[in-house]
Amino acid sequence: MSVTIALPSKGRMKDAALAIFAKAGLEIVNIGNERSYRGVIKGMDNAEVAFLSASEIARELGSGSVDLGVTGEDLVREDLNRADEQVEFCSRLGFGHADVVVAVPEVWIDVDTMTDLGDVASDFRHRHGRRLRIATKYWRLTQQFFSSQHGIQVYRIVESLGATEGAPASGQADIIVDITSTGSTLRDNHLKILTDGVMLQSQANLVRARNRQITDADEATIAQITANIQKVSAG
Amino acid sequence: MSNKPDYADDILLLLTERGAHTTEIPVIQPADPFLDMAGEDLRRRIFLTESETGASLCLRPEFTIPVCLKHIETASGTPQRYAYLGQVFRQHREGGSEFFQAGVEDLGNDAVAQADATAMRDASDTLKQLLPGSSLQTTLGDQTVFEAVVAALGLPDGWQKRLIRAFGDAAQLDGMLQNLSQVNSADCGLDDEAAPLVSTNDLAGLTNLIDSRMQATGYLTNASRTPAEIARRLIQKTQLSSTRLDAKALDVLKMFLALDAPLRDAPEALAAFARIAGLDINRALVGFNARVDAMEHEGFDLAQTRYRAAFGRPLDYYTGLVFEISAQGSVLAGGGRFDRLLTLLGANAPIPAVGFSLWLDRITHARAGLARIAQKGGQSS
Repeated sequence: MSVTIALPSKGRMKDAALAIFAKAGLEIVNIGNERSYRGVIKGMDNAEVAFLSASEIARELGSGSVDLGVTGEDLVREDLNRADEQVEFCSRLGFGHADVVVAVPEVWIDVDTMTDLGDVASDFRHRHGRRLRIATKYWRLTQQFFSSQHGIQVYRIVESLGATEGAPASGQADIIVDITSTGSTLRDNHLKILTDGVMLQSQANLVRARNRQITDADEATIAQITANIQKVSAG
Repeated sequence: MSNKPDYADDILLLLTERGAHTTEIPVIQPADPFLDMAGEDLRRRIFLTESETGASLCLRPEFTIPVCLKHIETASGTPQRYAYLGQVFRQHREGGSEFFQAGVEDLGNDAVAQADATAMRDASDTLKQLLPGSSLQTTLGDQTVFEAVVAALGLPDGWQKRLIRAFGDAAQLDGMLQNLSQVNSADCGLDDEAAPLVSTNDLAGLTNLIDSRMQATGYLTNASRTPAEIARRLIQKTQLSSTRLDAKALDVLKMFLALDAPLRDAPEALAAFARIAGLDINRALVGFNARVDAMEHEGFDLAQTRYRAAFGRPLDYYTGLVFEISAQGSVLAGGGRFDRLLTLLGANAPIPAVGFSLWLDRITHARAGLARIAQKGGQSS
């Protein structure tokens, strides 16, 4: 048996993940050429590394086909039902910061809070012959936040796989739920975040799968990797 | 696939003897009406798929909406009582996802009190027949009475809507009451252009300002909320921001929501409440009492039925009666009045509607429990 660690396969998330592993004394080398999607940790012969896309990592952790992964908390909580029962968040890694937020057009100067939005949503059908539309790729998080936390039941989600912030201006949706790090994209598109509209403050995490049977040797390897990472990460 | 219970035909026989017509509903349904009516929360609980043309379809998660759609299409002018029996499909974390449901939708009957009583009687009689000797508990609530209390308190319109929206969800309603009983400092830091228009209640000026901002930022003024709609709500909200729900009104609402009495005593309890609170909710009480009388006339056991004032369903198409019948803590039947549903689904004129559904899998379970008790009794004697 061996331990499988899933790391982001490209971009800043990949670089930052490799850097934090290196800082923790876990140097990752690719198998074959530089661009291959498999790797090993130098000096650790029962651990292998798989480079996957960030949202695949969340799913693989849920199904228990990898032991450890580095990915955003937002993706884990979006892709997995009752995430905390399926995975353990071992360590916040201090990069990949992004807030999942509810944003409405700036020109809705009467709407500042989720309570205001609840008023608007409940009247929407009556005024416009359709439900309030929310553009997002975060179906699960949106449902939990609107329905369970704020008692807003009547709205429709419009799936948006990119350029979500443009949906209100183009009339595809009325408001959005999206990630933002600095808020500048939202401002550029004349959107504002509701005062109580931050659904999740996400960042990259070292995440461990719970749904997995493992040997004692593998357990020791996982413990060593998580301990090393915890020592060098923020908290 | 689970098997149809062997008593299924008995149910349909009883319901058709009571004047309902059986109706067949296709298993595969367009998903939009369910998501539009019950909300996105339903999405993770239904089985969704797509047609070749991209239309969103689902396995029917319940019967009420398709029965109502069928009624609108084929018979919206004439009152009808529909009986149905079949599988519904819902995802659950544990256990199966195919359940048998039977029930009645009574659409277009203007005799509200009588129709309510008939629905409750039919649900209750079906259960009595299927579970002989079992003790059934009925709980009843009435949104009309809550709406009347909120209106009689003279609360601002926006607040009434908020409270009615949360009715039936105890946690939401508590939060809402707490929120309304605090002064919410005008949290909207209004900009220098808008603030003077709001403080002088200049609706036209504010509308123009919002309109010009939409034009300037490239927002369509007719695709979503209109400038006038935003301006009107902002002025209303600002007027309310300095007021709060006073302590007396809060006490009255709490006193009302705590009412819990045998239905037999409920008319008196409600009358006493109205007198103590000094509220005129007579019209709602007349309707409530007419229903109690109709139930008594139908031979309904009022002593075994509880009225709970806080019992409701937080979806915007439910209007009056809600009820549940349970045995040994398991809810076997649920129903209520949904006078707003048919217009929401596209009917041209309002159509009164009341109905109930029976959870056959739970009933089967309860029957097995009764059979075990009977067997034990037989052995010991």
